[in-house]
Amino acid sequence: MLSLLLLIPFGGALLLALWPGNPAQGRMRTITLVVLGLQLAWSLVVLARFDPGNSAMQLQESLGWVGSLGLDYRLGIDGLSLPLVLINGALTLVSAICTRDIDKRPRFYFALLMVISGAVNGAFLAENLLLFFLFYELELIPLWALISIWGGTNRAYAATKFLIFTAVSGMLILGAFLGLALFTGNADFSLAPITSEQLSMGSQLLLLGALLIGFGIKIPLFPFHNWLPDAHTQASTPVSVLLAGVLLKLGTYGLLRFCLGLFPEAWVQLAPALAIWAAISVLFGSLAAIAQKDMKRMVAYSSVGHMGYILLASAAATPVAMLGAVFQMVSHGLISALLFLLVGIVYRKTGTRDLAVLHGLLNPERGLPFTGSLMILGVMASAGMPGMAGFISEFLVFRGSISAFPLATLLSMVGSGLTAVYFLLLVNRAFFGRLAVTAITDPVVHGRLDVNLAAVAPRETIPAMALAIGVVVIGLLPAGLGRLSETAATAMVQLPALTAALHGVALPSGGLG
Amino acid sequence: MPIISADLVHAGGMPSAGELQSKLLAGATLLAETADHLIEVVDVLKSYGEVLDAYSTNLIFQAEQQFLLPFPLFKYLDGERSPAKIWRHLNHDRINFEYAEYCMKAMLWHGTGGLDAYLDSEAFAAGCAAIIRRKTRRDPLLALLHPLFPGFLIELIRTAATTHALGQFWRVMSDLFLDLARAETSRHVTSIEAVVEFIKDGLVAAAANPISYGVEVAGEHLWVLPPEAGLTFLGDVAVPYVEAVFLRGLPFLGTVSFNAQAQQISPDQAQFAYGALYADPLPTMGAGIPPSLLMQDMYRHLPERLHAWYLERTRGDGDVRVKICMSFQKAMFCVTNAAIQGTFPGPLSSKDPAEQAANRAYAAAWAARLAVARTDCLA
Repeated sequence: MLSLLLLIPFGGALLLALWPGNPAQGRMRTITLVVLGLQLAWSLVVLARFDPGNSAMQLQESLGWVGSLGLDYRLGIDGLSLPLVLINGALTLVSAICTRDIDKRPRFYFALLMVISGAVNGAFLAENLLLFFLFYELELIPLWALISIWGGTNRAYAATKFLIFTAVSGMLILGAFLGLALFTGNADFSLAPITSEQLSMGSQLLLLGALLIGFGIKIPLFPFHNWLPDAHTQASTPVSVLLAGVLLKLGTYGLLRFCLGLFPEAWVQLAPALAIWAAISVLFGSLAAIAQKDMKRMVAYSSVGHMGYILLASAAATPVAMLGAVFQMVSHGLISALLFLLVGIVYRKTGTRDLAVLHGLLNPERGLPFTGSLMILGVMASAGMPGMAGFISEFLVFRGSISAFPLATLLSMVGSGLTAVYFLLLVNRAFFGRLAVTAITDPVVHGRLDVNLAAVAPRETIPAMALAIGVVVIGLLPAGLGRLSETAATAMVQLPALTAALHGVALPSGGLG
Repeated sequence: MPIISADLVHAGGMPSAGELQSKLLAGATLLAETADHLIEVVDVLKSYGEVLDAYSTNLIFQAEQQFLLPFPLFKYLDGERSPAKIWRHLNHDRINFEYAEYCMKAMLWHGTGGLDAYLDSEAFAAGCAAIIRRKTRRDPLLALLHPLFPGFLIELIRTAATTHALGQFWRVMSDLFLDLARAETSRHVTSIEAVVEFIKDGLVAAAANPISYGVEVAGEHLWVLPPEAGLTFLGDVAVPYVEAVFLRGLPFLGTVSFNAQAQQISPDQAQFAYGALYADPLPTMGAGIPPSLLMQDMYRHLPERLHAWYLERTRGDGDVRVKICMSFQKAMFCVTNAAIQGTFPGPLSSKDPAEQAANRAYAAAWAARLAVARTDCLA
């Protein structure tokens, strides 16, 4: 059953690669949309068959592969990975929908999209460390190609930077997995936290440190974030949607599944430092976003800040915080994808993302009023306005973390306030005021502000509208997602060593009920 | 800078005041002579004429039938209180009569010309006293209000007088603009120059029309603006209207910010430059006189030819109000052009040095004011 989530996208990519002749771009896009639509539909079938009350891995599938190396094909899904599989299905489809007019090699482009989607599904479903690593690395090259072939003018620099950072991330993760096998003498690479208990604390901290840096690069957390703004700035809109919405989640998923899941004892030791690291990342991301003049860089830095919440929640490791982390992964996926889509529309229509140049885009007649309205909704959600997904996730993260790490939580809450600051700056500069796409330095511009922007066709905003509806629905009806992930979130923190060491007593279960 | 301040969106400077003065003295049109301009000006004036017809009817109805009514709930219904008309009104399937009232208030507030002088005269005060005396005899609310606020009813009568005068002015202008459209259809008008000439002739022909206004109070006819006051169409209503609505206007807060403390709004009312000739065609989403109300009304009456012309440009119907406003400004420059030509102190062909100097000074004064208007539409 789960294998189909891999077979559909990989099969689609193969089908596209082998499609005879030279099909038109429209046909390739249609094939991709059908394949990704099937993938999303199958993800929903998995959702229907999923038992939310069961914290164990479900719908498991396994197949001996290279047993001597410990590389087994073993898939399973739980309340942590299911929301991410769904987000992957939805956002890959969105990024294919909003892909228009690929000027070169469309067959390669659409095939890469499907490969990435399949690899991400594989990483979320893998129950074997090496299998996870394989899929984790598998999405790297396609994404590099997507940036370096279809990116902006400085794409080679950004793509190479992304490749180097992520390759280092991959090496550290592989090193940690191999180290775990080496130190424990157990080379089956299965997801079993018990194996790390045989290790000395020093070894655990060493391996956990390697994993933290590895996933910290991918998430990314300060100071390993450097590749992200460049990658986003140079990537095309659909690739940015994928990058922010799905691929960064590989890092946070790894953080929860492998760092916390494999090394609970060492995690407890490092938790206070991780909480401070989270607060620093949140504040740095927010302050850096305030300083940006490029809309896309601003949204990219906001990701750095918002990913910090997940580190904070996982450091606190209370059931409510863990549920908050899952919510934050989903809501950040939707909100950042929405914001990148909207920035993409603004860029396509105005030719710029410069906040010193854009003014008054909300103008009802000649501006981009609907895009602007969705942007306001998106930034409100990102800033944690009640009624939208961002509020639920941030509230859960803060509520779940404040008792464990009050200072770090309070600092992170300041970061949440700063989100409102930089996003209101963005909205105020680009969307309010008199419509113009001009740097206003001349004291009297003599009516030269007038600009004719092409109208945004309704079909161009359909993907953004769908994401906006998702953001509001999760914000108003969070119980569904809560039920899906609550058991897994609770189970994750009930690892005996972790709970005992962190809190001394058993925690009351929390969540949305 | 999120909000663009007023001085940044003021157009002007192209063409220069000197060029404008030369054109005025040469008798040339301010608006460039092109086929597109002819379509825009004639058709937008045709729709404006139809809208002015409705405005005029309503203003005269308000001044005559809703006179000193404390709660004029049905003032926009022109006396027809059928459920269908009320529903259309509530459903906003109607003309924005509010725009006409804004224009009236602008005239009342700026208060220039003979009409305003008469509204402050003793003869007017005596007329008001007679009306109020008769009205308060039968209306207990007004009888109570008048002693408490002695200036209130007089100000309401001034408002009614201005409302009626504007209604009379627009009656003439509406007919003139609809006649212009007919003349263009019958090929009697084929150029911008002919349009300006046509409007000038119409204004000159109506210049001496008397402006008067009387009301029925308890079966007795009483004059508010009696014929003896000698108020006429051009000097006492048309010129103040142009001054208040075309030129001065009222600043309105919207996405364009005005900082009165920074003297962005002149303390001298005569220096105001927020009228129709200066308006930013982009809706600024503010209060006050939103030109978009008028554009909306003109859109309802847009001739098919101009509508098709708009559909081929920029966003088609999506930004049609902006395009109507741009065409409207071109048309208003033609009307202003005609008014200036019709009011030169001396003939432009005059060889008399004194008349020439007076004409030059007159043209220079107009050119200075127009040079900072939205003249970018003239090319």
